[in-house]
Amino acid sequence: MPNVGAELASVPFGKMIYDMASAIARSQVALDKASIQLVKVLANTTFDYVPDVVETLLPNPRQVRGANGAPLVDADGDPVMITGVQVQTDVGDSFPLTLLQAGVNPTFYAFTNSQIEVKMSITSTQESSNTFSVGVSVTASADFLFASGSVSSHVNFTSANKYSYSVTGSSSMSTVLNPVPPPKNMMPRFFLVNAIDPAKITVSQS
Amino acid sequence: MIPKVAFQMYMVAFNGEFSQQMSREVQHHIRKLNGVTLMVMKTGIIGAFDDSVAPFVQAHPGVKLVGGVTLSPHGYAADRLQRIFAENLAKQIQVKTE
Repeated sequence: MPNVGAELASVPFGKMIYDMASAIARSQVALDKASIQLVKVLANTTFDYVPDVVETLLPNPRQVRGANGAPLVDADGDPVMITGVQVQTDVGDSFPLTLLQAGVNPTFYAFTNSQIEVKMSITSTQESSNTFSVGVSVTASADFLFASGSVSSHVNFTSANKYSYSVTGSSSMSTVLNPVPPPKNMMPRFFLVNAIDPAKITVSQS
Repeated sequence: MIPKVAFQMYMVAFNGEFSQQMSREVQHHIRKLNGVTLMVMKTGIIGAFDDSVAPFVQAHPGVKLVGGVTLSPHGYAADRLQRIFAENLAKQIQVKTE
């Protein structure tokens, strides 16, 4: 007789879970290594950062010119002036800034919600057939002084049993990979020392 | 119909010494894969492309490393970078109304 419980017990759940957890752990280490490698690249990639550009609007008075290009004067003979404006630009000195300082952070990933699904189908069929036949033959003969008779019988019995038993199984494993914020101990800390007031030190971390 | 794509920002680090030609080749490679270049530096490119094409970008001989990045709003120059990214993006995409 098929034993469903025994079939289920034979599924190597423990090994499947171990193999999956082991594969996830190996993948997680590889992903973390790649992200740490990226931290190094970002920390070594610099660009010239211009901290500020000061634009100063300065007065630029000038006399209005007439149609023939001659300076225009009013009825009292005073020149007609407009305020005018001149923009003076003062670009601050640039300094190298790393992408990490600028705000570009590496993406870290974490596996979440792993699932193992095992499907099993057990089919058992039993087919029995019996045939039974009985035959009787009677013969009799009679003569002048002698009479005889015989009776014979036969019994045929055939029995056939067919058994079939099949087990099919399938398993699937799935896991979800999510981006997560950079772990604190994998990201560098930034110490901002104000040289004007060295007592003021700001510590920040992405 | 607009296809659903998982666009992400990536840092694409160059392999070896910087050269203008190699940088352009990598940028064209990203463009061919329907990605965009947001910023170019001497060590690499910050680009945006679909998750599924990341291995193909990595496969380019001029590429050493491809890794997902995000822009932290607390960064020293995050707003400036965001503006640079937006300006460069605007030069590469066409907005159509249907």
